[in-house]
Amino acid sequence: MLILLRDRQTILLLFLMPVALILFLSLAMEGVWTDKLTGRKIQLVIENKSNTLKANLLAEKIKSNKLIQTVDRPRDMTDDEIFADGRAHAIVTIPGGFDEGDQPVEMYFDPVIDAGYKIAARSLITSIIVEVVMGIDNLDAVIAGLLIEKTKPNRNFPTPLQQNVPGYAIFAMFFIAIPMSIGFLKEKKDGTLQRLFTYPVNTNLLILGKIVPYYLINVFQFVLMLLVGVYIMSHIISFSFHLGEHPWHMVPVTLVVAAATTGFGVLVAALARTPEQSSTLAATGAVLMGVFGGIMMPHALMPMVMKKVAMISPMYWAHQAYLDIFIRDAALTAILPKLIVLTLFAGICFYIAGRRVQWI
Amino acid sequence: MNALDISSITFSYEGATVRALQNVSLTVTDGRMQALLGPNGAGKSTLMRVITGQLRGYSGDISIYGKKMPDRKALLSIGYAPQPISLYTTLTARENLNFFGAMAGLSDEQIVLRSEIVLEQTGLTAHAEEPVAIYSGGMQRRLNLAVALLHSPKLLLLDEPTVGVDPQSRNHIYDTLRELNAAGMTILLSTHIMEEAERLCSSVTLADKGEVIFNGQMSEIDDLEKLFLEKTGRGLRDE
Repeated sequence: MLILLRDRQTILLLFLMPVALILFLSLAMEGVWTDKLTGRKIQLVIENKSNTLKANLLAEKIKSNKLIQTVDRPRDMTDDEIFADGRAHAIVTIPGGFDEGDQPVEMYFDPVIDAGYKIAARSLITSIIVEVVMGIDNLDAVIAGLLIEKTKPNRNFPTPLQQNVPGYAIFAMFFIAIPMSIGFLKEKKDGTLQRLFTYPVNTNLLILGKIVPYYLINVFQFVLMLLVGVYIMSHIISFSFHLGEHPWHMVPVTLVVAAATTGFGVLVAALARTPEQSSTLAATGAVLMGVFGGIMMPHALMPMVMKKVAMISPMYWAHQAYLDIFIRDAALTAILPKLIVLTLFAGICFYIAGRRVQWI
Repeated sequence: MNALDISSITFSYEGATVRALQNVSLTVTDGRMQALLGPNGAGKSTLMRVITGQLRGYSGDISIYGKKMPDRKALLSIGYAPQPISLYTTLTARENLNFFGAMAGLSDEQIVLRSEIVLEQTGLTAHAEEPVAIYSGGMQRRLNLAVALLHSPKLLLLDEPTVGVDPQSRNHIYDTLRELNAAGMTILLSTHIMEEAERLCSSVTLADKGEVIFNGQMSEIDDLEKLFLEKTGRGLRDE
């Protein structure tokens, strides 16, 4: 353990890498999540060139709508510059002659606006125009008698913190394979490992002694990332980090995930012949597992084929086990199948490593 | 009782076509310092690794103070300093001794006491708290020896203990070995340096190509180098 802790750069990397990934990717995804989950106000520049009673009423109704945030046109900025600067999603122009019905209201959209968002904004402005033109006081109240909205509670789509904290903690835990395999190969090369076998110590105990420190580091990595998520990140971004109804389920999940990540490390150590090989193997393996396993791209957003492919990655099972806790309030029995898959993965890794590795 | 009895040991590395050890028999009498001499590829290090239980799958018998190997308890009678500097270089000398002391089953008190003694014996007391990474080659070699001495073994196995060290460190190691032997420790010294064997050892075993080709008392040999070249030939050993 002391030898591992002396390698300060590696330890620092194992803890700082996931913190940085959680911080920057959560901030980067915040906007996407806001659009996706809670919705955000449509930012509009309104230009009223008519200034008649109806045109003014229309402008006023648009401005007072709770889904719209009006933006004053910055001085000397063209429409394109407004979009390029991200100041507004669309520009609504009420033309002269609107009252007479000669000229339609114009909506000029930001070219990179999400298509769904564009349709929603268009529908909203349309309904307000209908209210003003038809003289209806509240179209929503009329529609309410014809259409009732019901939304199933979210059980699949995590918030940025629910996605990224366990995701990148797991990702970093799999990176333990790099120092683990390099340490093993180095000890073998300089003869310290062979020297240990000249002492009257049980071989299995000796091997366990080599593995346990890495297992503990893995557990500590997750705990630290969780603390960062709960106590730091939730103050930085606008989403809270809801841990679900049974946060203690994280204990068995983390213990099993750490066994899987340590198993991966032992496997890499057994397969690699040089430190260069082990770094490449571990890093490539971890990144691929992260890509497929729904760490870098949320599993809920993947196409169906990729959702199925994700199941080959142990990171998928680990991540879903945490999401079971955070967003599905799952009972331990519901999480158990994922833990069995991870335990099997760990078992297979240790078995192959045990068959292949030449300890001395 | 003999400290070490090796009888008809034959061993091959996996996939190798040539045997690394061929019917090797060797006896080291208790209290003696014996040289195991041989050119590169003679099988000296392999024999050391077989004796210390690192290599399995050999035929023949090995006994250490009457205990037939493999017997992991018999390993406690052995102190082994391998040819590579087998130490944790990010740790200090004392931390290395603490770790290897625990591996040898010493209590905390014994580790503290024995560490002071072996650090003194190897001239490293002043550097005990420094990381091994900043040690010179000679200091690392001396610490390699100190670790082997830590649990007060009765039989010390040294594999090329002075490779790559300066004359000062080499002489210090020679003095230490003489003192240890005078105090009753049995030593098997694997080396290919004639002068080292002549200066330190009372008996010699000559090995080549995995076989023992000579056993005798140092006092009976007039010119060790001449005997060595006669027995092993003058051809280059590039393997």
